[in-house]
Amino acid sequence: MSEEFRALLEELRPRCVEIIAQYEDSRSALLPLTHLFQEHQGFVSRDAMRAVAELLALSPAVVESAVSFYTLFFRRPVGKYVLQVCRGLACTINGAEEIMAHLRERLGIGHLETTADGLFSYEEVECLAACDRASCMQVNLEFVYDLTPRGIDDMLAAMRGGTYATAPMAQTQMPARTWTVEQDAQVSCGAKSAGAQGQSHPNNASGLGDRSGVIMLDHIVANERLFRGRTLERLANAEPTLAKIVDEEAEAAH
Amino acid sequence: MPVVKVLTEGIGEANLRDIAIYEERGGYVQLRRAFEEMSQREVLDLCDASGLRGRGGAGFPTGRKWSFLPGNDKPRYLVCNCDEAEPGTFKDHMLIEETPHLVLEGMLLGAYGIGSHHAFIYIRGEFKRGYEIFSETVRQARAAGYVGKNLFGTGYDLEVTVHRGAGAYICGEETALLNSLEGKRGEPRLKPPFPAVAGLYGMPTVVNNVETLAYLVPILKRGSQWFASVGTERSKGYKIVSISGHVRKPGNYEVPLGTPVRELLEIAGGLRPGRTLAAIQPGGGSSACIFEEQLDLPYDYESLAKAGSMLGSGAVVVMDDTTDFVKAAYNLVRFYAHESCGQCTPCREGGHWLATVLERFVQGRGLQSDIEMLHKVSAEITGLNLCPLGDSIEPFLASVLKRFPEQFEARVLKETVPA
Amino acid sequence: MPDKPTVDMVSVTIDGVTFGVPKGTLVVEAAKRIQREIPVYCYHPKMGPAGLCRICLVEIEGMPKLQIGCNTVVTDGMVVHTQSEKAADGRRAVLELYLVNHPLDCPICDKGGECDLQDFSLAYGRGFSRSADAKIGKPKAEDLGPTIVLDEERCVVCQRCVRFDDLIVGERQLVLKDRGVHNIVATATGDAYRHNYTGNVTELCPVGALTSKTYRFKSRPWDLRRTRTTCTQCAVGCGAFLDTRLGGVRRTMLVEDDPISDGWLCDRGRYNIGFYDDLHRLTQPLYKRDGEFVQIGWDDALALWARAIADAIAADPASVGALGGGRLTNEEAYLLQHIFRSAGVRNLDWRAGRQRQATPGKRAGRLADIDRAEAILEIGESPAERAPILELRVRKAVRRGARLIRVAPVQSRPPVAGSCADVATAGEAVAQLPPGAKRVAVIWDGVDLALGRDLVARLPAGIDLAAYITGEQANARGAEAMGMHPSFGPGYAVPAGGAGRGFAAMLEDARAGKMRVLSILGANPALHFPDGAAVREALEKTPFVVVSELFMTQTARLATLVLPARGAFEKNGTTTNVAGDVLPVNAAEGLDVPDGALSDFEMLIGLAQALHVGLPAQDELETAVISHSARAPEGFAFGDARFEQPAARGGSAPEGDGNALRLVVESRIFAGGGTIAHDARLADLRPLPQVAISPEDAARLGVATGDYVDITAWATVRQERVIDVLVEVRTGLPQGVAALVGGLPDDPANALGERALVSVTNVRRNVAEAAR
Repeated sequence: MSEEFRALLEELRPRCVEIIAQYEDSRSALLPLTHLFQEHQGFVSRDAMRAVAELLALSPAVVESAVSFYTLFFRRPVGKYVLQVCRGLACTINGAEEIMAHLRERLGIGHLETTADGLFSYEEVECLAACDRASCMQVNLEFVYDLTPRGIDDMLAAMRGGTYATAPMAQTQMPARTWTVEQDAQVSCGAKSAGAQGQSHPNNASGLGDRSGVIMLDHIVANERLFRGRTLERLANAEPTLAKIVDEEAEAAH
Repeated sequence: MPVVKVLTEGIGEANLRDIAIYEERGGYVQLRRAFEEMSQREVLDLCDASGLRGRGGAGFPTGRKWSFLPGNDKPRYLVCNCDEAEPGTFKDHMLIEETPHLVLEGMLLGAYGIGSHHAFIYIRGEFKRGYEIFSETVRQARAAGYVGKNLFGTGYDLEVTVHRGAGAYICGEETALLNSLEGKRGEPRLKPPFPAVAGLYGMPTVVNNVETLAYLVPILKRGSQWFASVGTERSKGYKIVSISGHVRKPGNYEVPLGTPVRELLEIAGGLRPGRTLAAIQPGGGSSACIFEEQLDLPYDYESLAKAGSMLGSGAVVVMDDTTDFVKAAYNLVRFYAHESCGQCTPCREGGHWLATVLERFVQGRGLQSDIEMLHKVSAEITGLNLCPLGDSIEPFLASVLKRFPEQFEARVLKETVPA
Repeated sequence: MPDKPTVDMVSVTIDGVTFGVPKGTLVVEAAKRIQREIPVYCYHPKMGPAGLCRICLVEIEGMPKLQIGCNTVVTDGMVVHTQSEKAADGRRAVLELYLVNHPLDCPICDKGGECDLQDFSLAYGRGFSRSADAKIGKPKAEDLGPTIVLDEERCVVCQRCVRFDDLIVGERQLVLKDRGVHNIVATATGDAYRHNYTGNVTELCPVGALTSKTYRFKSRPWDLRRTRTTCTQCAVGCGAFLDTRLGGVRRTMLVEDDPISDGWLCDRGRYNIGFYDDLHRLTQPLYKRDGEFVQIGWDDALALWARAIADAIAADPASVGALGGGRLTNEEAYLLQHIFRSAGVRNLDWRAGRQRQATPGKRAGRLADIDRAEAILEIGESPAERAPILELRVRKAVRRGARLIRVAPVQSRPPVAGSCADVATAGEAVAQLPPGAKRVAVIWDGVDLALGRDLVARLPAGIDLAAYITGEQANARGAEAMGMHPSFGPGYAVPAGGAGRGFAAMLEDARAGKMRVLSILGANPALHFPDGAAVREALEKTPFVVVSELFMTQTARLATLVLPARGAFEKNGTTTNVAGDVLPVNAAEGLDVPDGALSDFEMLIGLAQALHVGLPAQDELETAVISHSARAPEGFAFGDARFEQPAARGGSAPEGDGNALRLVVESRIFAGGGTIAHDARLADLRPLPQVAISPEDAARLGVATGDYVDITAWATVRQERVIDVLVEVRTGLPQGVAALVGGLPDDPANALGERALVSVTNVRRNVAEAAR
């Protein structure tokens, strides 16, 4: 836990105790406490999850598991304005696609991304339950209805100029390009044995077991295209058009 | 025009968020009457006699739901479900923001009826404003003595906790909601046991929709007969219908159940000039479309079920002839794939698979064989899931695949690989 | 005889066969009774239904939809079809979905050949897939912790591992993260998956997602040869399968219906198998000449040993002693005492460490008694690190509602919700018993005799007591029953030649220069005896020390003659567990044994011949093992005074000032100088020299978890010091105690002496830890 977070925790502790007291079972306070920390930090930091675990006498894994389920919890820093445009059916058939294209173009970023200056994060979200005012969006969870490209330009200008009605979110850390964790699960999960943490015996030979297996895997990954080629051959007989698509994709990816 | 104002009474005319104004208009009179003059049993019977059915989507008779509570002396809970996220539905959003005291009064009545001393309201995470409004509502009601200890001097304690979700459609499913309320992942629970037996904290629990609980107030005021006399044989009373899409006046309209769909269309201002109707999704994202020739269907639970669709949460999405149904199908299937909790396989894998294929169609890269596969796989995964989410993927997709096959055929890649 | 409880039966028809099952039976379980397979992934009999995998679909007459067999309770007259067209269609559809995003990397998957996904796809699947789109990628070969590698793409999200971690172990380290098709099994970010039971998830995993590091890419299941044996890593004696290939043990697998282990294995039992083919195995007798070991032949070795013993006996039988048995088989222990007693030697003991007593006396409990106990009393060290699978039973009992009362606990509480109390004295412990509790289990580490005696004496009359002594050595109870004890012969009888001196007394004699020959078979007192320095001094002063061992241990280094022994997987015999069950130890089929290594049994026969001592007849041996081992003898009590040993040196340290802490030695299943130290693949699991102190003491001393400190023996004659000890601040630990991990190869704990007063000095902040 960082010193800053420790101070924040002490400041929020009375509020946490109050929240926990509302429930027969303290675990129910998991979501409200996480909301509270996100409000103050702009995202749900690892420190925050550990603090929630401690406050509720849960394992840190259990807290992270629950937090990761909900889309409104950001496990990485996000922009000061989180722009969440509705992609529900009613909005989509009422011009949401143009609105989204406009926003993406104006911000220069895509779905689940944050601008380099850390001001805006952009996300396309499921039906926001304001279909009578389609197309709609939320800015830091405040609704904006009846969107037009013109209105969006004004809105962005006001945000940049610091005159927008909705307050910016707290930002305690500079966000990266994306805040989703699922893509970089490898980073968050990898390298966990004591050996990797530099705590083990110098003779540590465990690693991933037999090195030969790892080498074999590397080899296969390196030869993925070769494998793909063979699959394509078989596919071409069964489903020629698809084979073409797969091939094109491979080309494009290369 | 059959539009009525029961729950929606006063919305747009007065600031119903102010407890003084709400009380001035007769608010909390029914609550006081229930506590002072009625037994819990009488409240329960009144609800049962009114024929009120769940307004959240499943349409289960509310009185019967309450009757499943076991007669033991365990603490029991009432949970008000305000996790409104069904595509096209926006009535609860309006109710908690515009007339929150009515919702609270309904909750308190329900809690009293089932003998609960702690009621919860689970508000969708996105409704941050609604959460703030409702929290203030509870504060006002507590100050006025409607929430807390020894209500109306009867010795009955009733606590209310306002709980906010954090972004998960599945938490609208009642057992997922309970898990979420317990601080867990919003994964639906394996049933049995049902919440009435083992719900929140393993105790007997009733989960009711916002609109359902709000209707308790007028039912108490005017009697069960008043409510039951409206509507059809098995769909009694009123319903707020959220009408959106290609209509000129989208919005929430309160109507008697059984109003013909054609009239709903008219209430919402009809189609835009020069357009013809292509399809109507009558009951939220999980419902199959109905079409032009079915416009005279009465808007009630049985008629829609008989027509192969459902009333659901009362979300009517109107689509005219400009609609791209491949995109619409992709939109809804992707929604369910995105919102699948991922616990059980048919929904997790099937939803994703169908969405991937439909995405290809949207890009104009469908395969001929995919069309049959879409039909079959969507049908196969239906009925195999732990909760209703996985079963919600098929109806809309199947109905538009059947009605607009040419739109899908048009997206099939025509050219073949030269030999 | 009490009436058997009547079980309500209901009648069910499955696939045309009508039969009766007890009320409440699930359809999946009912089908097993008529050998009908209903495929499952998520369901597990010990964890109950989860309802996630949706492949146990069955058609039940009268129900419109297919039902899941795992959560459907049989009702009377129910007619179930497991193979109907509708059920088959449903299963086929779900199985196709399992392969939509599965990498189909069976050729390089360790599970290939014993994989439920392969088997069910073959048996019930469609045979082809209609999916033509790219599969979603997930992390592969994730290093989940010291024991397990996780391949997320192969995972079918059945959550068996997650539920095991929650429902069986209570650790809740493995969870599901993210949502929908992206969900993955994971630990908290940055945390390793690490507890004493992790390996079980590799067997619970129906596919190749969770694999053991020790077994990855080692073998195909059909190339393995399997032997059923008993694990001898601790005194629980879990049933285990040994799988060998190309002359080596490749893996250990649990035995699902084993009543001893309840169908689980701990990580030590599962993974500590690599030492068998370690390069440091002793393969030839070694004789110390001019301070250097030289290789000699077996004939010479046995002759030297016999001559030394014979000469010493001729001079004074009291100058000869033998230690061993706790790590040997019952047969070997019996033979050991038989030969020495026949030759007139009375100084025999098995107690190479801190444990003093192994047999609980007439109130010895059976393992199943824990499952029925209303209260469990733990005295001394918790079984968590001494008998892990026994600990799982305790956790199960606590979860079921039994009250756990711990006297002067060192280790943290088990991580399960339940009724727990930590108290300081036996009197307080008894006061904590639930009112009216009849069935009480007492689990004791066998160290502090007075405490054990006191506690049992205070228990109210009429209690159905089940007592256990979780020892340091696997066959301690067997060795004691076989007569490897100075005061007891086989079957706890008074030995014919009278009582001898115990090992602690032998050491005293040795230090006084009175011992001539000491034979140590399968024991490492220089590491495990509370005062290592005293042992070293004693052995150095003894002219002839014989040690039989697998490795050149701390004790073997001090020997005159070292005999290369065989391990438990390389010989046959029996072992007696903590509950008095006599269990078979079988040599693994297909295991290559080092040419020069003999079992202790073989060595002892050689010794007997050289000493001209008659051997017991085969049936005498068998009778002794069976009749004595399982006995719950009447003759002595829990904490009986006859098990007392002279205190080790250092036990009478002077009182310190306010800063001094009392040293407590703590077990860890992966501490040890022999099999663990010589299993290179387990390096990550070996504990570091670590000291646990209470939060109060930590605050006073200004140390935090992750710091390094030195521990100095406080004001003793010998200024022993242990440097670079990692600090763990442990909530719940009594104040004034320093719990140091014992049994580490550099023996930091026993360098300081038992119950020594120590002070914590030279605190160094772990910079990396503080930054995290």
